Amino acid sequence: MTELLEFLYIGEVVEEVAVALGPLILFFIFFQVFFLKLPREYVFNLLKGVVMTSVGLVLFLQGVKVGFLPTGTAMGEILGGSGRPWFLIPIGFGFGLVATIAEPAVRILSFEVEKASNGAIRAKVILITLSLGVALFVALGMVRTIYGIPVHYLVIPGYLGALAMLKFSDQTFTSIAFDAGGVATGPMTVTFVMALSVGVASVMEGRNPILDGFGLIALVGLAPILSVMVLGLFYSSGRRR
Amino acid sequence: MKGYRENLSEALQAVLPITLVVMILQFSMVSMPAVVFIRFLLGALMVMVGLSLFLHGVKTGLLPLGELVGVEMPKRASFAFMLLLAFILGFVVTVADPNVRVLAHQVDVVSGGEINRNILILTVALGVGFFVALAMLRIIVGIPIAYLLAGGYVLVIILSFFTHPDFVPIGFDAGGVTTGPVTVPFILAFGVGTASVLGGRSSITDGFGLVGLASIGPVIGVMILGVVFG
Repeated sequence: MTELLEFLYIGEVVEEVAVALGPLILFFIFFQVFFLKLPREYVFNLLKGVVMTSVGLVLFLQGVKVGFLPTGTAMGEILGGSGRPWFLIPIGFGFGLVATIAEPAVRILSFEVEKASNGAIRAKVILITLSLGVALFVALGMVRTIYGIPVHYLVIPGYLGALAMLKFSDQTFTSIAFDAGGVATGPMTVTFVMALSVGVASVMEGRNPILDGFGLIALVGLAPILSVMVLGLFYSSGRRR
Repeated sequence: MKGYRENLSEALQAVLPITLVVMILQFSMVSMPAVVFIRFLLGALMVMVGLSLFLHGVKTGLLPLGELVGVEMPKRASFAFMLLLAFILGFVVTVADPNVRVLAHQVDVVSGGEINRNILILTVALGVGFFVALAMLRIIVGIPIAYLLAGGYVLVIILSFFTHPDFVPIGFDAGGVTTGPVTVPFILAFGVGTASVLGGRSSITDGFGLVGLASIGPVIGVMILGVVFG
């Protein structure tokens, strides 16, 4: 049971959140003092939201670190040593999907897109497109780990593909697509999928858990760029019709 | 707590799928030790509550805050000052990001201690600052984002042939580093806010892309280090 006490050691996570939030608060205070001069009550309400964000994020990150990370590693080890390594490919797809669905920044990006487009692009559509993209690329990442394919064989053609698509995609979807690449690599996906991959690599012969783990995040970051740009092609062909 | 219920149900929808998948696997083909499974269930509960607070807090705090700064900046600041502020924002946010330290450690190991953490953090932060400023320039002047992305990634691909092979995967991974859950809402709202007040720009077409461009900074930074030290 002592292992469950680990949930209480939140010091590290608290520091992480405080340090990341600090510069943004200073940036805002600078604007508030010199330019914005908003009424005190309004600022107080904003800061209440910021405090809530921090408490929420501390709980979230601690839950992922203490609860989800060991699960990812354990599943990777069991599946990697099961003698049926190909089974990792659908499992990678499944976990890529459900982990991205739970990613905080992905939710916020989808929300902002729906808001800025006045509802023309639904948050759910962005969320699902993005998650399916990640799912597909985590499955590819598992293929790579199982068969020992160097990561740049996947990443460089992937980015070349994205560059080629720039020619056809419209500005709105291009911007959202590349932003999506940045948000997909959040704490949930990175921790859970990395742990799974490290678990697999640690039990399969001839694999280096550290080196094989590298490059997986690059795949996760590349996936939504491609999937959201493809979504954009559907939207623009729909508009032309 | 107006509107909290909505965010609570969103958090529930977000965390339920992963919880169900793990539970199904646990009771079918992958039985983990009981203690790991209990930890997962407790973790899932924490993640769910945490996510609901985060979503509510971001929508009532960080998003309006970033938007206010974005809306107000073009009214008060000169062109050059806006670029400078964007640079500083990108730089500072990167130095403060916890993931940069993890990256610094990886690079330290791969380079056998030759590239120390301060050099790495400085390079990556300069890279992000530069690209956030470039992204701001694009919003103000109206450069098509495709040109900037194409330029950035062509440079990345060229560098990947000259840099030490170990630095290629680390470099690509580094792209995800500066875009944590605290930074993303602020930067997104900041861009959308700025684009909404500039004449001839719309928040949906021009407001996004800051996060995506910022992600190129660290990739280029790490690869240049790999060329210099590799």
